[in-house]
Amino acid sequence: MTADNSGSKAKVQEDLVDPKLRPLIRLAGSPSEKPRLIGSKCKSCGEYFFPKRVLCPNCLKEDVLEDVPLSNEGKLYTYCIVKAAPLGFDAPYAVGYVDLPEGLRIFSPLAECDKERLKIDMDVELIVDKIREDKTGQPIHGYKFKPASP
Amino acid sequence: MRTVCIIGVGMTMFGRFPQSNVIELGRTACLNAVRDAGVATKDIQVAYAGHARTGQLHNRECGVGQSILWELGISGIPVSSVGNFCSSGSTALREAWLAVGSGMYDMAFAIGVEKLTGREGKGRPLTSDGVELLTVMGFSPPVYFGNVLTRHMKEYGTTMEQLAMVAVKNRRNAGPNPRCQYKDPITVEEVIHSPVIVDPLTLLNCCPTTDGAAAAILCSKEVAGRYTNKPVEIAASALCSGPYEKCKDITSFGADRLAALNAYEYAGIGPEDIDLAEVHDCFTIAEIVHYEDFGFCKKGEGGRFVEEGMSGMEGKIPVSPSGGLMSRGHPIGATGLAQICESVWQLRGVAENQVRGAKVAFTHCAGGFQDTIELGDIQSSAVTILKRGW
Repeated sequence: MTADNSGSKAKVQEDLVDPKLRPLIRLAGSPSEKPRLIGSKCKSCGEYFFPKRVLCPNCLKEDVLEDVPLSNEGKLYTYCIVKAAPLGFDAPYAVGYVDLPEGLRIFSPLAECDKERLKIDMDVELIVDKIREDKTGQPIHGYKFKPASP
Repeated sequence: MRTVCIIGVGMTMFGRFPQSNVIELGRTACLNAVRDAGVATKDIQVAYAGHARTGQLHNRECGVGQSILWELGISGIPVSSVGNFCSSGSTALREAWLAVGSGMYDMAFAIGVEKLTGREGKGRPLTSDGVELLTVMGFSPPVYFGNVLTRHMKEYGTTMEQLAMVAVKNRRNAGPNPRCQYKDPITVEEVIHSPVIVDPLTLLNCCPTTDGAAAAILCSKEVAGRYTNKPVEIAASALCSGPYEKCKDITSFGADRLAALNAYEYAGIGPEDIDLAEVHDCFTIAEIVHYEDFGFCKKGEGGRFVEEGMSGMEGKIPVSPSGGLMSRGHPIGATGLAQICESVWQLRGVAENQVRGAKVAFTHCAGGFQDTIELGDIQSSAVTILKRGW
């Protein structure tokens, strides 16, 4: 595969991601890489934020936050399975909150919506996949967590 | 701050009124309040109108209060809109309380109104204000409370039966109240087996879609004596935004805890003094969490509290004797003032589902979600404590 091809493939992948979520996600650049969420870390107080912030609310400084890739593995804090979906979403789908090692508890769609396979405190892993469809039925991608492979 | 009293309240029926509009609803509630207070409209010096979705749903972001009051011939006074999620009506009341309490004005109008039927996406959950990033990922208010519930069940062993008991109790309370949207009794089995909205929340664990309005007239204690021998005192009105906590506990709401604490402290009243409470039971699990956050019971024991009948009419603290949001319905901006109306009637001793000898009432509204992907608190919580002023 040439560099040009992989570049255009990445572009296609990125185009599928909801424009509002694009700044939050760094897609895998090669098959050996994994996608990452991009947050901020304050160089002054050490706290992490997701999504990125401009101003550190602890230090009240604008020049202390740097972009950092966050861990792509976490633990499922809680979840629910949506059966009556808002416009644009297909039920059922699962969403929950995931704890990342950086001290972040974040909202995320989940790739598994079988209640029997979801457990509080289970290990989960970041992927990028379809989260909903636009008005014309085209898939829109975003980040998700799936049960970690054993 | 001087003591402020409520001398008149009024509301509309709560329900689905597709032919109505927010101005008509507001006009009816305000006229009822003016008649109840027996005041001349020219004596009202300032007004606050709470509404949360009139901009998004009806192209009326501002001026709702002015238009309603114009119909009653009230003009030439300070009027402003108060938008504060599900606490919009409670916040309007608090602004009116501050305006009169400060001594700037002697008489104020607090209005709450909302019309939620006829919106786009009928039959689907109403999405929340703001929280754009969460919404594109499938978030909605029942999603938040579904997540609260899963964790509460895991940590404290709360059961679907206990949740259903909240809905059953509030529906039983609604029976005699003509203003409620739903009055027919329901059973635990019916609640558990109603259609699943967000597993584990079923339809009858969620409040309905509702239109309605409510209003209250406030004045200084001194002025109140000219109109009534049963003025209801506002013992405290506390408002709090969500505290920012990393990795917060989803089974407890910091804004609610702080608002209640501030109200208890200001009023010099504790949970042990409360005769009845109207809380924000937008979902059954919310009412269970409120028992715990307001100190009605210990943390984690909310499920048992309802199961043992402690929040029932004969219990330690009757909660939502009016039927609550679950049965009265939840026209967002109107709810806080509907709770005030129902509580004023309780303290006067004229409520349809009367708590015997009620002297102190606690009301609570809360709503909005923090505009971030990190788990956040409720954006706004308002607690008002009312007591007999005679």
